[in-house]
Amino acid sequence: MDLKLTADEAEFRDEVRAFLQRELTPEVWQAHRDPSEQGMWTVDFTKAFRRKLGAAGYIGMGWPKEYGGGGRSRIYQAIFWDEMEYHRAPGLDRAITYVPNAIMALGSEAQKAEFLPRISSGELSWFVGYSEPEAGSDLASVKTRAVEDGDHFVITGQKAFSSDAHMADYGWVMTRSEPGSLKHRGLSMFIVDMKSPGITVTQYPTLAGWTHHAVHFDQVRVPRSMLVGEVHQGWKVVMGAIDFERAALSSPGLVGYQFDRLLAWCLQDRDGGRLLDDPLVQDELVRLAIEAEGAKVMNYWLASLHAKGLRPQHETSLALLVKRETARRMDVAGLEMLGPLAPLRTGSPWAPLAGEVEVEYRDHLYFQFAAGGFDITRNVVATRGLGLPR
Amino acid sequence: MDITIDDDQMMLRDTALSFAQKALTPAAIRALEATEHRFDTKIWRQMAEMGWAGAAFPEEYGGSGTGLLELALIVEALGQAALPSPIFSTVVEAGLLLLDAGSPPQRQTYLPRIATGDAILTTAIAEPAGGLAPGGIRTRITPVGNGFTVNGTKLFVRDAGVAEAIICLGRSGEGESDLTLLMVPRDAPGLKLRRLQAAGGEALWEAIFDGVTVDADALVGEPGDAWPHVARLLLRGAALKSAELVGVGQASLDLTLNYAKTRVQFERPIGSFQAVHHHCAEMYRDLEVSRLLAWQAAASLGDGLAGDRETAMAKAKTSEAMTALTRTAHQIHGAIAFYRDYPLELYYHRAIAAQAAYGDAGHHRRALARMLREDIDRFRGDSSHDLPVHYV
Repeated sequence: MDLKLTADEAEFRDEVRAFLQRELTPEVWQAHRDPSEQGMWTVDFTKAFRRKLGAAGYIGMGWPKEYGGGGRSRIYQAIFWDEMEYHRAPGLDRAITYVPNAIMALGSEAQKAEFLPRISSGELSWFVGYSEPEAGSDLASVKTRAVEDGDHFVITGQKAFSSDAHMADYGWVMTRSEPGSLKHRGLSMFIVDMKSPGITVTQYPTLAGWTHHAVHFDQVRVPRSMLVGEVHQGWKVVMGAIDFERAALSSPGLVGYQFDRLLAWCLQDRDGGRLLDDPLVQDELVRLAIEAEGAKVMNYWLASLHAKGLRPQHETSLALLVKRETARRMDVAGLEMLGPLAPLRTGSPWAPLAGEVEVEYRDHLYFQFAAGGFDITRNVVATRGLGLPR
Repeated sequence: MDITIDDDQMMLRDTALSFAQKALTPAAIRALEATEHRFDTKIWRQMAEMGWAGAAFPEEYGGSGTGLLELALIVEALGQAALPSPIFSTVVEAGLLLLDAGSPPQRQTYLPRIATGDAILTTAIAEPAGGLAPGGIRTRITPVGNGFTVNGTKLFVRDAGVAEAIICLGRSGEGESDLTLLMVPRDAPGLKLRRLQAAGGEALWEAIFDGVTVDADALVGEPGDAWPHVARLLLRGAALKSAELVGVGQASLDLTLNYAKTRVQFERPIGSFQAVHHHCAEMYRDLEVSRLLAWQAAASLGDGLAGDRETAMAKAKTSEAMTALTRTAHQIHGAIAFYRDYPLELYYHRAIAAQAAYGDAGHHRRALARMLREDIDRFRGDSSHDLPVHYV
């Protein structure tokens, strides 16, 4: 056990911090922040920023060298994600975390050759087509059909709750390819070009203020070469790559930022003295700091296991649960510490902390149900992790 | 950075656990708990032979020269097996205190004998008025002739009834931290011991020093300069009790999972109900977070880092979370575990004792709050960012 970053890791962290501070100046923030987008940045800026990440070598730095990656350990990857989240930078999403690792693990050589270089340069945006109107927590009940037709498959159906679908170049889409098959059998995974005829993307405003999307497939023809893995074996593809996404999502950067923001608020002088001088506030800050420390050690523990070549599985679910529950505690504590100012929204006179706490209190609701919500995650941990019967 | 234990450390933990789980049956542990001294000397000698008593001592004192993290892994295993031992009194308290503050002859006299399991020692710090801060120490140490006289009452002295000597903290001057440590033989005239009836697996004693006189060579460290040594002792105690609590939590979760998988009600194992799934998942989540915080605390103290922040976080978290875990474990078991012949009760008792030892959760949160007020950079830890300012 070595609790300190090595000199090289610390240097890398400083380099990433400097990069993010240079790129995300207050002027940039002013010009490109966009609360109507899920990522809170404009689509154009998100795409441009992702290319900068690619040019700086950050996207592929943890990939194996054989795929054009930098071959750096998962500790560096964790540091990068941590700093990205802390600075609330755009582009830390499935396009650079989940999809490339799924392709490396499960894609064909042609798919790797076609997509990995373009992902590593930051050129591509992706949407992940798992959820459907009737398949949410019960993911294995997808109904979107893929029908074999010569050297193509024809996809028809609807995907729902589709983050980034409006800006995606490609979709990573799970379909039912074997008619009448049940549950996790008979599923196939495809990479779908979002410019294909028959695709429409519709909008759903959310209570967080941003717009979410659904994707409709009407007889969309996808070449067989875009099938990922074996036909009817799509469930393996889903399960095979999910730990990498959870490791990215369980980054502690967000909770570190939430805590620092509250601390800065509590240090401000105001009539009646600083909040920090209130013993109840001190106790709450201490409790939050302990939870944040827990989220941090958990994440770097996972990164250390990965760096040693181990493959933690349900532990990644556990880490995600810890991080997201901690983030929600920060949201709740934030509302309480803002007192009567708490409801004031971004842009309003007197909005505290630029209204961020109020936005996040709404936005982070999705932590409770997305990418395996709290209760589903507890089920996964209980059954796969602890071996309890279903 | 590497937040994992290595193969040697994992093997040490597995070996310790396997030994501890086989050493005594739950019934034998309960029988031991009814005795005055509460541990089995033969078993302690076997543990010493395996190198565990001297795990954190340098080789020159018969130790194996590993660190506090290794000791924490052993303590975690003992906690998981509920195996009683004098490891806190003799190693965590007295042994490491002598290594820290003792004179070369004191170290030479005691540490090798602790490492072989021959010497049982303990410390007397806490008092009715407190003991986690220098202000609570009322015991007086007065110079007389070529030595000192001690007067006062000490509480929670571990294994006092079998210790060959007790290292006692007392006030030697008027300043708040004008405190001194003295090594007092257990058979010194004027020393009276009374067993406390306490929850947990350790024998805790009241020690009344009524005009106890010792020679000048009983001094441990410099007179008037004891508090920094005692503060480190308390931190080590807190970090290692956190590790013990993790062991308590692991055993409670293991018993619960086993029960939930086999107990059938409503024609199904109760472990198939989602209410039970969710309870168990939360127990496991709290256990793993607690484990990492406890390891981090032991490693940071062992690495010679200050470790106070990490230790306070670990003890605050484990004290609350692991006692809560034992309550949930009982909830899932229902009435069966309410009976004394079911082993869960061992852990319920130990959690009560361990959460209170070396500062409870509130004590450690108060310590962190003080750090927050007085040294915010230290509170925020390494690697922290400049506080955000763009909107404040």
